[in-house]
Amino acid sequence: MPAFSDYNPIVVFIYFLTVAGLAMFIMNPVILGISLFGALICFRSRTRGKKDRSSGLFIGLFLLLALLNPLFHHNGATVLFLINDNPITLEALLYGFTSATMVVSVIYWFRSFSLLMTGDRLLYVFGKVSPKFSLMLSMSLRYIPLFATQARKIKASRKALGLWKEDNLWDAVKGGIRGFICLAGWSLENGIITVDSMEARGYGSGKRSFYSRYSFSLWDLGMLILILALTSVVIVSKAMGALDFGFYPRIGGELMTGAAAGAYACYTVLVLLPLGQIIREAGYGREKERKNGNH
Amino acid sequence: MEIIKAEDLNFTYALGKTPALKNVSFSVSRGDLVAVCGATGSGKSTLLRLLKKEIAPVGDQRGRIFFGYIKDGKEGGFGFKNVEDMSTRESAEKIGFVMQDPEHQIVTDKVWHELAFGLENLGVKNDAIRRRVSEMASYFGIESWFEKNVNELSGGQKQLLNLAAVMVMQPEVLLLDEPTAQLDPIAAADFIATVAKLNRETALTVIITEHRLENVIPVATKLMALEDGRLTAYGEVRKTVAALAKDPKMLVGMPAAVRLFSRLSAKGECPLDVCEGRRFIEDNCVNEIRSLPVKTENRNHETALCFKNVGFRYDNRGADVIRNMSFEVREGEIFCLLGGNGSGKSTTLGLASGVLKENSGKIEIFGKKIKDHKGGALYRECVAMLPQDVRTLFIYDTVKEELKEVEFSPEMLPFDLSPLEDRHPYDLSGGEQQLLGLAKVLSAKPKLLLMDEPTKGLDAYAKKEIAGVLRELKKRGLTILFVTHDVEFAAAVADRCALVFRGEVTSEGETHEFFAANNFYTTAVNRMTRGFYDGLLRVREVEEIIRLNGGHKE
Repeated sequence: MPAFSDYNPIVVFIYFLTVAGLAMFIMNPVILGISLFGALICFRSRTRGKKDRSSGLFIGLFLLLALLNPLFHHNGATVLFLINDNPITLEALLYGFTSATMVVSVIYWFRSFSLLMTGDRLLYVFGKVSPKFSLMLSMSLRYIPLFATQARKIKASRKALGLWKEDNLWDAVKGGIRGFICLAGWSLENGIITVDSMEARGYGSGKRSFYSRYSFSLWDLGMLILILALTSVVIVSKAMGALDFGFYPRIGGELMTGAAAGAYACYTVLVLLPLGQIIREAGYGREKERKNGNH
Repeated sequence: MEIIKAEDLNFTYALGKTPALKNVSFSVSRGDLVAVCGATGSGKSTLLRLLKKEIAPVGDQRGRIFFGYIKDGKEGGFGFKNVEDMSTRESAEKIGFVMQDPEHQIVTDKVWHELAFGLENLGVKNDAIRRRVSEMASYFGIESWFEKNVNELSGGQKQLLNLAAVMVMQPEVLLLDEPTAQLDPIAAADFIATVAKLNRETALTVIITEHRLENVIPVATKLMALEDGRLTAYGEVRKTVAALAKDPKMLVGMPAAVRLFSRLSAKGECPLDVCEGRRFIEDNCVNEIRSLPVKTENRNHETALCFKNVGFRYDNRGADVIRNMSFEVREGEIFCLLGGNGSGKSTTLGLASGVLKENSGKIEIFGKKIKDHKGGALYRECVAMLPQDVRTLFIYDTVKEELKEVEFSPEMLPFDLSPLEDRHPYDLSGGEQQLLGLAKVLSAKPKLLLMDEPTKGLDAYAKKEIAGVLRELKKRGLTILFVTHDVEFAAAVADRCALVFRGEVTSEGETHEFFAANNFYTTAVNRMTRGFYDGLLRVREVEEIIRLNGGHKE
């Protein structure tokens, strides 16, 4: 079984789309709890060994979202206490926690997404949709850093000529505009070279093909089917109302019906799919350690 | 069999008054490596571009160019077709083209994608692309950076990638338009070696225009010379070199051995490279007098710029780029920092110009710390810096307006820009751009001039002109510090040199001592005469010493 990151990018792309999509559209505390749990584990498994400096930020965000809701929404039947004559209700508090779970888990899914779907893989997915768009994206990725470097060079050289002052706002604006003119002239001039280079290599001579280094194997197909099957179980349960859960005016709905339990189980398997790889890698790590020990 | 044939080719640019090419006829056989030489503006690039339809310049073309191909099927044999009649696809496949600028020829963001780009354009299937791309990457030895972003590559790697990205289309003719002009000497030699290998191992036909004939002449099979759009010589290398050496304008760009041979007006077979030059000297000259008297110049010992134990890093968590760097530039001298790519030369200039701030140590300019030159005083009548890419200084449409931006007066310059006044800065030749940049920089009336790679991309003739300008500026009392890869230029111009290695100055000395102490990092003349004569750096000096020893054998 390949590592999760080695699956065809389209499979990985669809995985993140469904796992985060389900969390966004199903306002069910259990589903969201599973989603947050899976998202955190998935992210940590990608950043093992590195300290996650941002975790404090996300805990803060979570608490903020959870506690702001009851301060602004006073629906709900169970009043806990009053602040400035405004009732703080249990329902609003629970709703706040649930939506905070949703937001933070989706953010964490996207963080894992950006770690797994590097430029190349994203380009591949877009290239499948539109080769032209993919080439444009690739060229932008090339030119943005190039422009930034050139802008720095222009600033340095004009500064050392005494033509770039930042003493007052007017000078700074004037200097900035001149720097921009210089950059524009440079990019137009060099654009000609790029166009020549493209035409010299047959750009526009016919229909382009799209080179990708990723193949679609049986493993990919199997994984895709598994993802879609698990997702459709959850969607069907949701459509049948098995996952419905109300907050206002009173918390309502059965969380633990048989149908719901099936959906929870499927979603749990879905969020844990990327972990197949950690287990494998952990085994590999031990093996490596043992080998190193023998030396 | 001939693969390219030009008959009575005349070409005038759409907006040009005089023809860029006049009655040019020649033919190139399959497997030839043709070096094309000629001054800037002699029509080299025009000729090369006319051979490739997609990027041919717009203008009035007379005469014809043929491409020789192998006929398909039963017919067999060879045929000729007009280059203009080739389909875009055919031309893209059969004729490869690599230009001067390594950076802007690259289209995509990844090395592997760049290699595949041309094949994608031709609509080649995925499996075939995979096979050809991996084959090319292995042949060029670029597997280790196959996955990289292109902006992580060095200039030499970028140009090698441009070559590989063309070769992957399996062209029969490769056209190279000054491919090594922007590269450092080591990368340039690597590039030429790769081209020579392709030519030798795959019978690829190559036509290359070059300033650095030193590298190309030993591997070329034929040499072509253009002057003002006319073909002045074409043929087997050694014969053509001998014929061209009579023209002083052509001679400037020739290898040191050829220049020596020609200056001595020697007869017989002309030596082409360092080995042959050495054999020529050992066989034909005596070395009773081994060295020239040392000329001592009375020099000022006031310090203009002083680095004391300077350390610098771009990023607090990153590694030191400059460490413990110490050197002194004295007033009124030309000081040169030499070193490879990434050794920290340009960063040193950034620190000296005050654009970067040192993390440790002390930098003094005319006895004062940089931060004590308050309120922009540093850039008024004190320090000025000519950047590596002089085009970062240009923002107007004409040379006149560029000079108006700064308080410029013509008498400050030892050269005349007035004939160029109405031209667009981007239309100037590399040498002229360098002079315009210098004019802008000098209008701040600096006492210390900093220059970053002043000879990058220049032909031999323009280099000679810049060298003259620097010597004249020195006479007028300016102190100059420049960094370069160009050993020959440093030897010709600098009073003192220093080698920068991994952010430190590892050796330093008077130019002659400095280069005489180096074995590899020194001029071709020094390598040619090492052991036989002592401490010679330039052709002129060898000529003199041979004369002192009673001349060479006829």
